[in-house]
Amino acid sequence: MTGFFMAFAKWLEHTRWAVAISTSDWAFPFVQWTHFSGLSLWLGTNLAVDFRLLGIGRKRQSIGELSSALIIWNWIGFAIALSGGFMLFASSATHYIPNPAFDLKVGILIPLALILHIVIQANARAWTASPNPPAIARLAGLLELLLWLSVVTAAVSIPNFETH
Amino acid sequence: MLLHLCEWLEHLPWVVAISSSVVLSAIVEVAHYAGFFLLVGSIAILDLRVLGLAARRETPASMASQLFPWMCTGLVSAFLSGFLMFAGDASDFARAKWFGIKMLVILGALVAGITVQWNVSRSDGAASPSAWIKTVAFLSLALWIGAILTAVEVPAISGVG
Repeated sequence: MTGFFMAFAKWLEHTRWAVAISTSDWAFPFVQWTHFSGLSLWLGTNLAVDFRLLGIGRKRQSIGELSSALIIWNWIGFAIALSGGFMLFASSATHYIPNPAFDLKVGILIPLALILHIVIQANARAWTASPNPPAIARLAGLLELLLWLSVVTAAVSIPNFETH
Repeated sequence: MLLHLCEWLEHLPWVVAISSSVVLSAIVEVAHYAGFFLLVGSIAILDLRVLGLAARRETPASMASQLFPWMCTGLVSAFLSGFLMFAGDASDFARAKWFGIKMLVILGALVAGITVQWNVSRSDGAASPSAWIKTVAFLSLALWIGAILTAVEVPAISGVG
C-alpha cells in the first residue's frame, strides 16, 4: 500500500505543473496563500458554529440559522483550501507521504472532522427546538473544535518530522 | 535602537524557554493560525454580507452582532501568539521587509474591519448598507486576503518564521 502511494507521489511530483510550483519563487507562496485563504473561510465559519453549539456567543440566531447562513461560503472555503492543499502536496509528494504528522492529518484527522462536520450541518436545524443546545450538540461541537485544532497541530508539526 | 530592543526581547528567559521548546512553539503556532483563521473568517463573512454576497436572510447588523465575539477572540489569540512568535526571532523579523509590510497591511485591514463593524452594528437593521460602507467592506476583504499573502511571503522570501 505504501509502495502504491509512493509511486503515485513520485509521478505527481514530476508532473509539469507540480515542478513549476516547487521550482518557482512566487508560485509556492501563492499556493500557500490559496490554502490559508480557504482555511480562513472554512475554519472561521466552522469554529463560529462550534462555539454556538457549546452555548458560547450571542443567541440571536439559532444554530440552524447560523449554520444555514454560512453553509455556502463554508464549503467554498473548503474547496479553496483543498485545491491549495493538493497543490502544496503535489509539489513535494514523496516527502509528505512518509511524514507521520502529514499521514495523521490527512489520513485520520481530516476525514473524522469532515464526517462530524457533515453530521453537525445535517442536525443543526433539529437542534434549534430549544434555546439551549442539547448535550449531544455540545459534545459534537466540542469534538469538532478539538478535531480541527488537532488538524492544525498536525499541520504545524509536519516540518518536525521531515526527512531529507 | 529598535534592533537593541529586539535583541533584548529575544534573550529574555521566558522567550528563550518558549522558542527553544518544540511543544511550546507548536502550541503558540497553533494558537496563531487558529486565531487568525477565526478572525479573518468571521470578518470575511461580515464583509461578504455587507456586499450582499452571503447570509442574505440575516441583516448585516445581526451578523455583525453574532460574529463580533469571534472576531475579538481571534484577534486576541492571533495578536498574543504572534507577539510570542515575533519575540523568539525579534531582530530577524525587524530586519525583514516583508514582515513590516505584513504589519502595515494588517493595520489597514483592522481599520477597515473596525469601520465596517462600527457602522453596520449601528445601522438600521432593515436598510441596505450604503455604497461607502460596501466599498470599505470590499477594501477590508482585499486587505485581509493581502495580509495572508504577505504572511506567507515572510518565510518564503526572508526565511524568518
